[in-house]
Formats: sequence, C-alpha cells, structure tokens
Amino acid sequence: MLQLLIAGLTVGSEFALIALGIHIILRATRVVNFAQGEFSIVGGLIALTCAEVLHANAWFALAGATLAGFVLGLVFEIVVLRPAGRTGGEAGVTIATIGAVFVLLYGHALVPGWGSDSHPLPGFGGPANIVILSLSKDGGAVVQVQSLWVFALLIAALAALYVFFERTYYGKAIRAAAENPLGARLVGIDVNSARAISVALGIALAAYGGTIIGPITLVGGAAGFALTIKGFVAAIVGGLESPVGCVAGGFVVGVLQVFLQSRMSYDVADPLVYSVLLLMLLVRPQGLFGRRDVVRD
Amino acid sequence: MSGALLEVRGLRAGYGALEVLRGVDLDVAAGELVAVLGPNGAGKSTLLRAISRYDVTLRGGTIVFDGADLTRANTERTVRLGCLQVPEGRQLFGRLSVEDNLRLGAFVRRRGTLETDLRSVYERFPPLAQRRAQHAYTLSGGEQQMLAIGRALMARPKLLMLDEPSTGLAPQIVEQIFAIASELARGGTALLIVEQNAYLTLRHAGRAYVLENGAVALAGTAAELLRDERVKAIYLGGSTA
Repeated sequence: MLQLLIAGLTVGSEFALIALGIHIILRATRVVNFAQGEFSIVGGLIALTCAEVLHANAWFALAGATLAGFVLGLVFEIVVLRPAGRTGGEAGVTIATIGAVFVLLYGHALVPGWGSDSHPLPGFGGPANIVILSLSKDGGAVVQVQSLWVFALLIAALAALYVFFERTYYGKAIRAAAENPLGARLVGIDVNSARAISVALGIALAAYGGTIIGPITLVGGAAGFALTIKGFVAAIVGGLESPVGCVAGGFVVGVLQVFLQSRMSYDVADPLVYSVLLLMLLVRPQGLFGRRDVVRD
Repeated sequence: MSGALLEVRGLRAGYGALEVLRGVDLDVAAGELVAVLGPNGAGKSTLLRAISRYDVTLRGGTIVFDGADLTRANTERTVRLGCLQVPEGRQLFGRLSVEDNLRLGAFVRRRGTLETDLRSVYERFPPLAQRRAQHAYTLSGGEQQMLAIGRALMARPKLLMLDEPSTGLAPQIVEQIFAIASELARGGTALLIVEQNAYLTLRHAGRAYVLENGAVALAGTAAELLRDERVKAIYLGGSTA
C-alpha cells in the first residue's frame, strides 16, 4: 500500500505541476492551455539534449529546460496566443492552444535525437538508487531516490512560486493584471507583458515538471495530451482557481491512477480517472479547495 | 494655450461606428477643480476614457497633457505622464490587500518615496490604515472609493480624474470625498470630476462644463452655472440625481 501511495504521489507531482501551469495561464488569459502536457514533453526532451549533446549534469539540464520553457512560453504568447486573441477572442486563443498540441506533437518527432520514442533521462544522483523505508513491521516500502528528488523539487518550485506571487512587487503586479486588466492599466502596468510572463511561467513549470519526472517515467513520446487531461482533471478536482487545490488535485489523481492501474488494465483505469472529472463537475464544480463565489465566468 | 495642464480641442471619439463625442473643447489647469456635468449618455465617461486612452476610438481633435500628445499614447503612458483616472466601478484588485493595492498604485514610480506616500494616504484616509491587511473586496463602498483615490494618489498625479465618485455612496461620504478633492486641488493637483449630481459638484468646483449629446452645451465658473436658468432647466426640469 505504502509503495503504491509513494508511486502515486510521484506521478501526482507531475500532474500537480501541469495543473498549476494550467491555473497560472488560465488566470492571466481566461483560457485553458491544452498544450500544457506537450510543453512538458518538449521540456523533458530539451533536458535530454542538454544532458546528451551538451553533457550537462542533471541540474544544469533542469535549469536549461526550465529556462528554455520560459522563453518558449514568451514566444508562444507573443507569436501565437496574442494574435489569436486579437482576431478570435478567448475562443481563438483556446483553439490556438489545441493547434499547438499538434504542432508540438508532430514537430518534436522531427527533431534529430528526439524522434517519437521515449528516452531515459539521467537521474539527479544520490547515495543509492533505492532507499528502504520500514516504518511499520508488516513490510516496508522501496522508494527510488529519484522519487524523493521529485518531491523535493516540487516543493522547491511551489516555494519559489509562492514567494514570487505573494511576496514580490512584480509578482503582485502580475496577479493584479490577471485579476483586473483595466485596473492594472490604470496604474501603469503593461498588461500584455504581464500576460506574457504568466504564460512563460506556466510553460516553464511544464518543462520543469517534465524534466524532474524524466528519470522515472522517461521523456518524449506521444503522451503529452493525456498528461494535459490528467493535469486538467487534477485542477478540476482541487479547484481551477486555487493553486493549493491544483497541487492537492495532482496528488489525488496520481494516487488514484496508480491504485486503479494496480488492480485493472490501463485501458480500464484511465477512463475511470477521467470520469472523476465528470463526477467533480457534477458534485462540486468549484473543486475541493475552490470557493463557490468564484464559479461564475 | 493659456498654460493649461490638460487641453482638449475638437475631440471626436466613440465606440466602433458609434460617435459619442462630437467636438469637445476643455481645459484644466493645475490646482483647478473642474466638473463635467450632464445627463446620462451625454458622453462624460467617454471623455475620461478618451483622455486615459482606453476602450474609446479617437476620430479627431487633440488631447495635450503637460505638453505631451495623448492621442498617440497608450494608457500606461498617460499614467506615466501623471494623468490618473479613478474609473467607474473603481477597478480595484479585490483579491489583493488594501496595502498591496496602494503599493501597486506607485507602479510607475516605485521605491524611494513609496513609504512616505503610503503614510500620507493613510493619514488622508484613516479607515484604509485600519484595513491595510484586508482584501480590497471586503471594504465598504465608501472605503473602496477612498482606496481607488488613494491608489491613484500613489502615482503622484498632476491630474486626477474621478468618474462619478458619488455613485452608490451615502451623502456624508460623498461630502468627504469632495472635501478631499478640494484639498488636493488647493495642494496644486488638477481635478476633473464627472458627475450627474450637479448642485453638489458645483458647490465644490471652480469651473464646470455641461455636456449634452457629446458636445459642450455650457461652460463657465461654478457660480455662473449655479445661477444659470438653463442649468436649472436641465437639472430641475428633468430628474435630479
């Protein structure tokens, strides 16, 4: 049981980061970025290139992928989303993110060294690959050191985001621009730049997530959209408007997925995970951590 | 050309194909409190939006603020130049604290004098000091109006434009807001106040313009307009706000 729980929390960390990215981008653009999972895959592949071609260690590969994700996010917002919004409004931006799914999915397969296969990513190191936890007498659990790194790096990212959005002047300006664009313009905030930075942070988070989980789940392949959907389910479960909820939702979906997959075939388990989405929308549309009054637009 | 801070000449503006302002001339000098009166739909709010450069399409005329041509500026630039607006609906950051709202008001300046300015806003609006840590959306209507004005003051405006500051507020609080506006004007800030409540506004204003159908129907000192039969006809004949 403990073993499954840890495995669930590990994949759940990736869902949590996808959900958080969706949340940050949604807050700034009022649109769900359906390419979030694809950006996570591309981020992992960039880390792969950093490691294999540039011979960077795992830490530099993580920094490189995150930074590249940030830059990709800026380009994505300025070159794709902004023009789509000017001509097509929020519906246009949504469709642009769906278009980006296919461009990234088929595009990354053409890159030499990436292809359409999955690749292992070097780990973040540590004393050994495996740690034995024996908290109870009736059997301990085997924990991969890489899982511990995932948790530590998730916490580091959450702490960094918290400090940025809650404690820094620019972080608050970006929240202000997302909450009330007109109010922000009337104090002189450049709302377009603020929006671009929000999108860039969301994509950087996706790339970061795809890289920290890489040593465990491999990087690359065609699983990006499934990742988006699971992150989206996580965000709905926890509450799209609540960053804490997004993380909690990620863990819930991760643990649920691992437990279901341990008892039945993946073909049955995945639809069951997705059906949680429908259940939540029926029972508690604002999510576990959402507030009722924010369910309006 | 009399050295006014804000000079609007022949301004035509509207929304898409709809022309709302049909040639408006208006001046505001430093230290003046100028009112823009007129019935609903006369174009008062449109005039402020045109000056702050948002939502409204300009179709002709000029807006010169402190020597700069605002017709080519965007909203952020008007703020940087010191032309601030407290708009209809106040447009606060409800999920941020009162103090964060005020701090962000200084976005175009920041650092240095921020703490001093914060203290002087709290002195001017004591209720805000008590509620500095609360979310802005938890404030009462009067406090929200104070916060909106305080946030604009944090930018150290040369011109402060208030759009219908009396809307939804108790008369006593409206009096307070106008008293503060007069005080700011005495301190050298230019004030441009759009209101439907004509008599109240004329008691505090130095000069006023009456807009009708997107053009200036009357202009003069507050004393002149208070005696003017046509003002009485517009405001006593119709519905008095």
